[in-house]
Amino acid sequence: MSKYKAVIGLEMHCELQSNSKVFSSAKNSYSEIANSNVSPVDMAFPGILPTINKESVREALLMSLVLNCTQPEYMYFDRKNYYYPDLPKGYQITQMHAPVGVNGKVTIDMGTYQKEVLIHDIHLEEDSASLDHYSDASLIDYNRAGVPLLELVTEPCLNTADEAVAFLEYMRRCYQYCGVSLADTKMGQIRCDVNVSIMDEDSTTLGTKVEIKNVNSFSNVYETINYEIKRQSELKDTGRYNEVEQETRRFDEETGTTIRMRSKVDAIDYKYFVEPNIPKYKITKEWLESIRKTIPLLPNERKEKYMKEYGLSEYDANIIIKEKDYADYFEECLSLGMDAKTSANYLIVQIIAYLNKEDITLKDFYLTPSLLNQIISELNKGTISSKQAKEIFNKSLEEKKEPKNYITKDNAQMSNQDELTKIITNILNNNPSQIEDYHQGKTNLFDYFVGQVMKETKGKANPTIVKEILNKKLN
Amino acid sequence: MKKFTSEMVEDYANKLLIGLSEEENAMVLKEFDIIDHNMELITKIPGIEKIEPMTHTLDDFVYELRDDVATESPDIEELLQNCDSYEGREIVMPKVVGGDN
Amino acid sequence: MAIINNIEKLHEMLVNKEITPLELVNESLEKSKSVQDKCNAFVTIIENPKITNVTENMLSGIPFGIKDNYSTKGILSTGSSNTLKDYIPIFSATAVLNLEKAGAIGVNKTAMDEFGMGGTGTTCHTGPVRNPWDLKRMAGGSSAGSAAAVASGVYPFALGSDTGDSIRKPAAYCGIVGYKPTYGMISRYGLFPFASSLDHCGCLTRSVKDAAIVVDAMKGIDPKDQTTWDSQNIHLYDALNGNIKGKKLFYIKEIANIESYQNKSEMLKKHLANFHQTLDILKRLGVTIDEVSIDKSILASLPSVYVCISCAEATSNMSNLTGIIFGPRGEGNNYEEIIKDHRTKGFSPLIKRRFVIGSYILQKENQERYFVNAQRVRRLIVDQMKDLFKNYDALIMPVGSGIAPYLEDDNNMIDNEETRILEEHLQIGNFGGFPSITIPNGFIDNMPVGINITGNCYDDENVLNIAYALEKEMPYQGQIAKEGENE
Repeated sequence: MSKYKAVIGLEMHCELQSNSKVFSSAKNSYSEIANSNVSPVDMAFPGILPTINKESVREALLMSLVLNCTQPEYMYFDRKNYYYPDLPKGYQITQMHAPVGVNGKVTIDMGTYQKEVLIHDIHLEEDSASLDHYSDASLIDYNRAGVPLLELVTEPCLNTADEAVAFLEYMRRCYQYCGVSLADTKMGQIRCDVNVSIMDEDSTTLGTKVEIKNVNSFSNVYETINYEIKRQSELKDTGRYNEVEQETRRFDEETGTTIRMRSKVDAIDYKYFVEPNIPKYKITKEWLESIRKTIPLLPNERKEKYMKEYGLSEYDANIIIKEKDYADYFEECLSLGMDAKTSANYLIVQIIAYLNKEDITLKDFYLTPSLLNQIISELNKGTISSKQAKEIFNKSLEEKKEPKNYITKDNAQMSNQDELTKIITNILNNNPSQIEDYHQGKTNLFDYFVGQVMKETKGKANPTIVKEILNKKLN
Repeated sequence: MKKFTSEMVEDYANKLLIGLSEEENAMVLKEFDIIDHNMELITKIPGIEKIEPMTHTLDDFVYELRDDVATESPDIEELLQNCDSYEGREIVMPKVVGGDN
Repeated sequence: MAIINNIEKLHEMLVNKEITPLELVNESLEKSKSVQDKCNAFVTIIENPKITNVTENMLSGIPFGIKDNYSTKGILSTGSSNTLKDYIPIFSATAVLNLEKAGAIGVNKTAMDEFGMGGTGTTCHTGPVRNPWDLKRMAGGSSAGSAAAVASGVYPFALGSDTGDSIRKPAAYCGIVGYKPTYGMISRYGLFPFASSLDHCGCLTRSVKDAAIVVDAMKGIDPKDQTTWDSQNIHLYDALNGNIKGKKLFYIKEIANIESYQNKSEMLKKHLANFHQTLDILKRLGVTIDEVSIDKSILASLPSVYVCISCAEATSNMSNLTGIIFGPRGEGNNYEEIIKDHRTKGFSPLIKRRFVIGSYILQKENQERYFVNAQRVRRLIVDQMKDLFKNYDALIMPVGSGIAPYLEDDNNMIDNEETRILEEHLQIGNFGGFPSITIPNGFIDNMPVGINITGNCYDDENVLNIAYALEKEMPYQGQIAKEGENE
């Protein structure tokens, strides 16, 4: 590990969900068909004007509140001017002077300690078009142009790649829990810029800041930070710290390194100025309060509830809150009257494993909580064994048929006390020497008796009940 | 503040992706001199720095944000009818290399 | 020819079937061709426009002209720039749609200074527009073609846009009425932007009444332009009663009093004398007129303030002109070369110079001194005007420093002459978004001159009514350019 202290700041861009785009009424949704979700506004035809989407503002304010930011009295926008083929207007509408939130903070759980992350600001802006690169040309698709983006900028207050990724994970969950974004990195809905500098452990002077643009997965963020810390530390170690330049780099996935893009000297002057076409908009206290009321239970709050009210272990609770889908599924199970621990167990052991194996999300998972309930309720009644439950679970998924179709008299578990007592008495009567040995101390013969019962019942006996009866009879 | 020079004019024109002739370059400086002279006078207005810049035309303007209702995309033929270089449904550019912003 | 009548008269003729919309359109098209030969006023003459039915709406069946910076679906819209020389929009400006809904028929697209930048009407990609009163003179800009056409009697009205004085100055040079209402009363959706915080839509007509009728139809809140506001309680035409007794007006001493000038040219003396004669008419109507003094150094800075704000906004607004999605594709091996080739070939020298200035002004290290300070002076002058409007109904001022200059004296350069503020004070109307109207108020050397009335925001009815009352006392309403008729 490096002997230097790293100082890390993050910029996290997250695409917001809505029916229409942030400054135009074109559809805000992903499409494989190029240029199928665009309006003249998104392609910057002469004479177009931006119109700000109320829903995007609501979502941005919601996140501003979640991050404990200060909201402006009047919201307005700025233009960031530069030329690039993915930017049809030649400027991006963003917020520089009056962002939807400033000076926020959140505390994240690092396991062994709590980390306070300071939020510089959170602002609403528009996404650019996407470029598809081919060997001799690039093609422009404007479907993404104008998709609402929320950009969150932290203070340089993080010190390790672990903290950075934990924060990003935390934020990703917040976006999902608040219902403002699917926050799917695979879909490119989250993109990050990372800046890293190092300094002597006891120093108070910040080192030279290096910015790494467009890091598009959390694992790449992790690698980027560690690579940069290593690169900068090595230069510092060898007395070449002056070679660390204030510059912009990019992460190269193939080599796992960062590559220089441009120096600070060549930094673009974005000539920010206030967008005159969007009048200042007063954010009323009433609106803010009504938005505040809609903030749902956030992941950490749910976790606490799961542990306190439902008695889950911290480990299990952590897994369940990891994705909003999981937590929602779990809570739906509870609302159907299913047992918390059994549901949690099923979700964690069976379902998540299945999702990972099949590489699907819970949305595409066949067994909804109410279908799962068909299995769990029988299991709890003792009519089926946990082994059978597992089989029914798999069969039902395989054939996409409701579990109740597989719960028949044939495979129903034997739970009848009288019936089982009769069988057990029979077996005990036929094995007097084993009983003798058992009482002499060969307690592992208990399992032998259970095995005999199972053999006799072709595995249908409810093992819990069998054990109960055996215990009574033998002791 | 640096003086506006012919080299800077050239540089700004380049950044704006426009070419200027030498004559045009000289005219920019000549015109700018007048603006600079007048803007210098403005800096002398007492308390000027305390005045709230007027960024929007109408003060105390009240308006409704747009309802989140999506509209259909125009036909692709329409969207591309003014484009000199496209392929299928997309606009063609020479291969864009290097990073973006 | 019927077409030279005002809107009320034309409507009456259409309703009485003395003439049909088709006949009117044909007259207008025929006239367009002769005016094109003389004045070079049009980018496009729309040969087969869709003929509408005569309804109760006064604009139904009435031909009109559209400045070429209004987006018109399916019809070439160039902004008089080579960057858009073949551009056929896929949507129409809201203002145009509103007029079409009223039944008006667009018959041509009028030439203008490229994207509205310029006050001469000489930087159009189709060549300079000539003044119908004297073809050797300019029509003024940027709404040059609209002014020349309306003054020639091609139709009763044409659309203009006004960022500094682009409706109101050419109106004066061509002896007609030019009106830009309060900012946001007419939607700018579909208007090619020059400087968004200063751009206004408006119209050029030959009478105040026609201007009221036209803007009544153009205006209205537009979901596509969030700077628009609900003006359904404003009825410009209905509010014209001609009763202005007791109104209070003011003019700015430093600009409109001849004693404020060191160099009193003959033209200047005649022009200001004519202005004061017009004031006398108003006084006779029972209007009070005061001379008000405004800090000369602030006034002198206004044209530079205007350049700073308008150039800065323009350089950003026109960054979409790259030849990638529309416009002729430039040559080159990468996107920068392609865009640069398109822009270098497409823009006139004037625009390029303004872009460089705008860009310099917006640089981080310069913004405070130029752009932000300009926005501060804008606030200063607007606040001062609003204070004055508490006591006065309107500001009344001469337009320009005299008659339309000769084309050969075309000078788009920024200068520092002492008459510069007289030339450019109408920019105050754009700084504040104020309603402002120019009407003809006489002739100097056989060329028309104009007078301007500007009032407080949302007070359009009052401003128009004052102009209406004054117009009735002068013989210039409905006048058609003489040279255009006689040659």
